Amino acid sequence: MRSDPADYELVAPGSLQAAVALLARSPGEWLPIAGGTDVMVQYAAAKLPFRKLVSIWNLPELRSIEVTANEIRVGAGSTYTDIREQEVIESEFPMLARAARWTGGIANQNRGTIGGNIVNASPAADSLPALLAYDAELILVSVRGERRLPYEGFHTDYKKTKLAPDELIRAVCLPRKFAGYVHHARKVGSRNAQAISKVCIAALARLAPATAMDRKVVGRTVMGQPIEDLRVALGSVAPVPLRLRETEHVLIGKVIDPSLVSLAQKTAVAEVRPINDIRSTAKYRSAVAGNLVAEFLYLLNAAGKGTGADKGASDVLARWNAAPSDAAEMQVLPCCGSLKWARAMAARRPLKDEDVLLTTSDDVWRHLGEDDWMKAFHSHPRIGESKTTAESETTEAAQKSEAWARQEQETVAGADEAVKIALAEGNRAYEQKFGRIFIVCATGKSAQELLGMLRRRLLNDARTEFAEAAEQQRQIIQVRLRKWLQG
Amino acid sequence: MIHSSMSRSSEIHGRSEISLTVNGAPRTVRAFPMERLLDVLRDQLGLTGAKEGCGEGECGSCSVLIDGTLVNSCLVPILQAADTSVVTIEGIAAGERLHGLQKAFLECGGAQCGICTPGMILASSHLLSKKPVPTLDEIKEGLSGNLCRCTGYIQIFEAVARAARQGEASSQ
Repeated sequence: MRSDPADYELVAPGSLQAAVALLARSPGEWLPIAGGTDVMVQYAAAKLPFRKLVSIWNLPELRSIEVTANEIRVGAGSTYTDIREQEVIESEFPMLARAARWTGGIANQNRGTIGGNIVNASPAADSLPALLAYDAELILVSVRGERRLPYEGFHTDYKKTKLAPDELIRAVCLPRKFAGYVHHARKVGSRNAQAISKVCIAALARLAPATAMDRKVVGRTVMGQPIEDLRVALGSVAPVPLRLRETEHVLIGKVIDPSLVSLAQKTAVAEVRPINDIRSTAKYRSAVAGNLVAEFLYLLNAAGKGTGADKGASDVLARWNAAPSDAAEMQVLPCCGSLKWARAMAARRPLKDEDVLLTTSDDVWRHLGEDDWMKAFHSHPRIGESKTTAESETTEAAQKSEAWARQEQETVAGADEAVKIALAEGNRAYEQKFGRIFIVCATGKSAQELLGMLRRRLLNDARTEFAEAAEQQRQIIQVRLRKWLQG
Repeated sequence: MIHSSMSRSSEIHGRSEISLTVNGAPRTVRAFPMERLLDVLRDQLGLTGAKEGCGEGECGSCSVLIDGTLVNSCLVPILQAADTSVVTIEGIAAGERLHGLQKAFLECGGAQCGICTPGMILASSHLLSKKPVPTLDEIKEGLSGNLCRCTGYIQIFEAVARAARQGEASSQ
């Protein structure tokens, strides 16, 4: 069944004022349409319960992102691409930036708007848990004026909201008060792009600062710091995006330990109200909800231990920024293996933080010559071996590089013999064909996956494979730079 | 920007004249405002390069560029394309001379049955306009809204990487 366009009216008033005036003349009769990523799908399926539509796409009043001292005001007509491209959102509201990247594919991100996503009110929408966790507020507008209300509670039931028939969402306000929080967002679904979540989480928390006393008493290990503030929101587990108030309640003020994690997990499972649908089952969703909360707590705990580590990272960078050139080159060399890369990195100092360090590395790496790429390739041991094939430029760098290689390949060391043998054979075939060792970013990959990649890449032509090896080496450098920062 | 055509269309409640630029040439179509850009391109303008796959923004085979931005033309009512500049696959080559992406797709075997190819090329062109030398991950993300059921994607990713390398080489 398909809709006949002759049955529908669509008007484009061109200004916010004209749009709300139209809504006010016959409230409930007009359906606003922005980028159409939801409305047009219903229209195509002849399931649209409206015959009159008013286009609010690209209205300038709705499509701006204002940054003030206290909040970011995201116009409701801002697309997911607009949100992704806003640096302050990436740095202060990373869970929203990440959800924007998960929403649909690029074409849908170019058209889908944050306001549309809120009004469409799907409990599975990827960005809504982030808005809950960040204490977002909404500004609604009509001919009667504007009103401001907390986003939490805006959805009153499945696909029902507090929006009056003559109102539009004008903006979403994000309070800039989450510096020092650990932010965590994750989507569990068939794939990130173009797949609706089975369950998604947005969670953030702040631990109480470790006191000097804690450090003194416990010596080198920092004792657990209590959770000072914490918010957890989930999508696809209830008729509306859900903030887990009870779970938060059992966690705030406590120090994370295994029994607390297990209590939080149980509380979360009891708090969600998921359903069975085509994407998943209620049972699975409950279990995943609990696991996502537990995962967040483990990450939070690790980050707490890392409050020192994070500080450590900036110390490493500060010391490196201040070091003489040749020392700086040697310090960073094990991350790549190409002396020219290390020299260029040292020459680009000072680098202000981890992000700048990582993007500088990418830039330097891409502009190296093929000879230097080869040098970096040769600084690695074969997958499944531990000694490098090349004479390293310094012994210390070589030792560090080998130690990292062992960590990166730890899953291979524990793999079964058949896979190890197949890898050794694949390595040999690869070296015969391409004249160098097989470069792959092994971190987080199983031996079986590595074998699959090796076999696939054996089919590449020389040119393509060289580029692929260079891309893998780029990823290795990124992983190693992060480890290097941790000291 | 979309013109204020409210009074006119609400009175007439029928087809109206909508002007837009398609592949560089000014065009005027008579259409119901809710007609999909995809249908107007294919049925009125004879540009059948954009394909209808899913009709709900999931597959990317109807991808076109509006003012340089990648969109699924099955989700765009024609009224929202008024006064914009639309580029379809038919506008990618310079006359008989293939675009670098088209050449790279041919060379790498990035096209098989051809249904997804116009969308793949437009999504790739949008990606390269934003990131001239994308990483493999960036290529995958840039094409994540375009589904191919033949090639297994690898050849497509290779084609985009090749076009990027050649583009960079020729710009230096």
